[in-house]
Amino acid sequence: MRTNGVKESSAESRIPLLFTTRTALLIGYGGMLLLLAFSGLDAIQVLSQMRTSNGSIRQEFLVRNKRLDEIRSAVYLSGTYVRDYLLEPDPEKADRHLKLLEDIRSQIESELAAYEPLVRPENRGPYQSLRSEMNSYWKSLAPAFRWDSAARRKQGYQFLRDEVFPRRTTMLSIADRIGGVNERELTAGDQRISDTFTAFRTRLVAVLAITLLLGIFLASGSMRHILYLERTAAQHLEDVSEARSELKDLSAKLLEAQENERRSISRELHDAVGQSLSAVLFEVRNLLAILPKEPASLRVHAATIRGLVENSIAMVRNMALLLRPSMLDDLGLVPALEWQARELSRRSGVIVDVTAENIPDDLPDELKTCIFRVVQEALHNVAKHAAARSVRIRVDSQEDSILLSVQDDGIGMEKDRHRGLGLVGIQERVENLKGSVMVSSEPGKGTVLSVVLPATAMARAEA
Amino acid sequence: MSNIRVIVADDHTVIRSGLKLMLGREPDVEVIGEAADGRQAVDLAEKLRPDVVVLDVAMPILNGIEAARQIAAKLPKTRVVILSMHSDEGYVLKSLKAGARGYLLKDSAESDIINAIRAVNEGKAYFSPEISRLLADDYVRQLRQRDVDDSYELLTTREREILQLLAEGKSNKDISSLLDLSPYTVETHRSKILQKLNLHSLPELILYAVRKRIII
Repeated sequence: MRTNGVKESSAESRIPLLFTTRTALLIGYGGMLLLLAFSGLDAIQVLSQMRTSNGSIRQEFLVRNKRLDEIRSAVYLSGTYVRDYLLEPDPEKADRHLKLLEDIRSQIESELAAYEPLVRPENRGPYQSLRSEMNSYWKSLAPAFRWDSAARRKQGYQFLRDEVFPRRTTMLSIADRIGGVNERELTAGDQRISDTFTAFRTRLVAVLAITLLLGIFLASGSMRHILYLERTAAQHLEDVSEARSELKDLSAKLLEAQENERRSISRELHDAVGQSLSAVLFEVRNLLAILPKEPASLRVHAATIRGLVENSIAMVRNMALLLRPSMLDDLGLVPALEWQARELSRRSGVIVDVTAENIPDDLPDELKTCIFRVVQEALHNVAKHAAARSVRIRVDSQEDSILLSVQDDGIGMEKDRHRGLGLVGIQERVENLKGSVMVSSEPGKGTVLSVVLPATAMARAEA
Repeated sequence: MSNIRVIVADDHTVIRSGLKLMLGREPDVEVIGEAADGRQAVDLAEKLRPDVVVLDVAMPILNGIEAARQIAAKLPKTRVVILSMHSDEGYVLKSLKAGARGYLLKDSAESDIINAIRAVNEGKAYFSPEISRLLADDYVRQLRQRDVDDSYELLTTREREILQLLAEGKSNKDISSLLDLSPYTVETHRSKILQKLNLHSLPELILYAVRKRIII
C-alpha cells in the first residue's frame, strides 16, 4: 500500500512538470520564430514601400519640372509676342500678334491650373505669387492692347522696357523659385525615405536583439534542463545497476547459504541421525542374538523393530543424498556426477555417459557445487521433458576455464522455450561465478546445454 | 589356527561396543583394540599389528578411507574392512583404491560382518550383498542399454581363471604355483585381462569381478 502511494504521487508530480516544460519550450521557441517572421515581413514591406515611394517622388519631380519649364517658356514667348505686337506698324499684322498672345495666355492659364494640384500645400506661397504676378502682368498689358498703331509707335518701346520686360523677369524668377521648391521637395522625399529606412533599421536591430536574447535564454535553459535530465537519467541508471548487482550478490549469497545449510543438514542427518540409528540397529541385533527362543512374540517384536530401524536408516540416507550428496565433499566432482548419472539411469532407463578431463580432485567448492547443481537441474529437465534415450555429460578443465556440456538426443524444443525449464536457476548459479550459459536446441534434434566457467571463479573460490 | 585379531574404529561408542559384543561371540575372532577416530585407529594398528581393522567411513580427525590408505601403506599384512552408510560405487572404488578389501553397509546383517572379517583375513575381497547386487544390476543394465557386447566374452578360459584368482586376492606368485605357470606368464595374462576389459588397476578389477558376480 505504502509503496503504491509513493509511486502514484511521483507519477502525478511528473506529469505537470512535463506539461510546463513543454509549454515553456513551445512558447519560447514559437515566440522566437514569430519575431523572426515579423521582422522578415517588415523588411519585405519596408523595402517595397521604399522602392515605390522613391519612384513616385522622382516621377512627381519630373512632371512638375516639365510643367514649370512649359510655363516658363510660355511666359518668355508671351514677352516676345507683346514686343512683336507693340513694334508692329501694320495694324493687320498687329492683330495677328495679339491673337497669338491670347492663345499663349490661355495656354499659360491652363498650364498653371494643371500645375496647381502638383504643389504641396506647404509650398503654395511661390505658386500663389506667380499666379498673382501673372494676373497683374495681364492687367498691366490690357491698356496697351487698345492702342492704335500711332500710340504703339509712340509709347510702345518705352512700355516694353518699363512694364513688360521687368514683369516678365519677375515672373521668370518666381518660376525659378518654384523650381527651387521642387528641388527641395525632392530632397525632402529622399529624406523621408532615409528616415523610413533608419526607423526600419532601428526596429530590425531591436527585434534581432530581442530574438537573440530570447534565443540565448532558451538555449541555456534548454541546455541546463537537458543536462539535468541527463544527470538524473545517469543517476537512475546507476541506482538501477547498483540495485541489480546488489540483487545478484544477494542471490549468490542466498544460494551459498542454501548450499551450506543443505550440507550441514545432510551431514547431521547422515552422521548424527544415521549413526545413532545404526547404533540402535546393532543393539537390536545383539538383543536378537541373546533373546531366548520363548516366548516367540518377543523375537517377533524385536525383528519388527530391526526392520523399522533398517528402513529408517535407508530413509535418512536418501534424504541426506537428496539434500546434498556427501560424495561431492568426500569423493569429489566426477564421482558425484557419475553417481547422478547412475541414479538417473536407474530411475528412468536413460543412458548417461560422463566424460571428465583434467578435473582436479580439489576443485574449489563453489565450482564443484555449481557444476553439480547445474548438471542436476539439466538431468532433471532431460528426465522430465526431453524423452531422450541417452545423455552425454562432458566436463573439461582448460587453462583458464572449465567447460561443461549436457547433451541429449531427445525431442528438443523451440527457440522461444529455451529460457524456461529451470534454466533461470542454472543461469543464476553460473552468472554468480561470472560464467556463461548457452542452450542450443531444435525440435527433434535434442538439446545441448553449454556452460563456461572462468578460471577466475577458481581463483575467487580459493581466495 | 589362531584367532583373527581385530581392531574396531567408530566414533560412536554404541556402535563400537555393539560390534565388540557381536564379534566377541565368534570363537575365531578376538577384538584387541578400539579407536574413536581415524588417527587413533592408525596409531593403534601400528602398535598392535592386527589381522583386520574395521573402519567407519565418517570419523572425525581422519576419515575411514584415509585411515585405510595409511594402514595399507604401513602394514601390508593387515586387511581393512570399511563400514559405510554409502552404497554408491564411488565410495566402494575409493575404498578399494585406498587398500581396503572389504566394504560393508552399516545396516548389513550380522553375519556379513563376520563373513567379511573372515574373507579379508584370507586375502579375499568381500562386499555387502546389497552392494554386490547394486553393482551387478548397474553393470547388466548398462550392457543392455548400450547394446554392447560384454567384454568378458573376449577373455580366454585361462584368463577368466586368472581374473577370478586375482579378484579373490591372490598374488601373482600364488597364482603361478596354483596353476603351475611361470610368474612371467601370469603377469602377461594379467596385463592382457586389464587391457581387454579396459581396466587400469587391481581395485577396478575387483569391482569388475563384483559386477560380473565372479566373486561375491
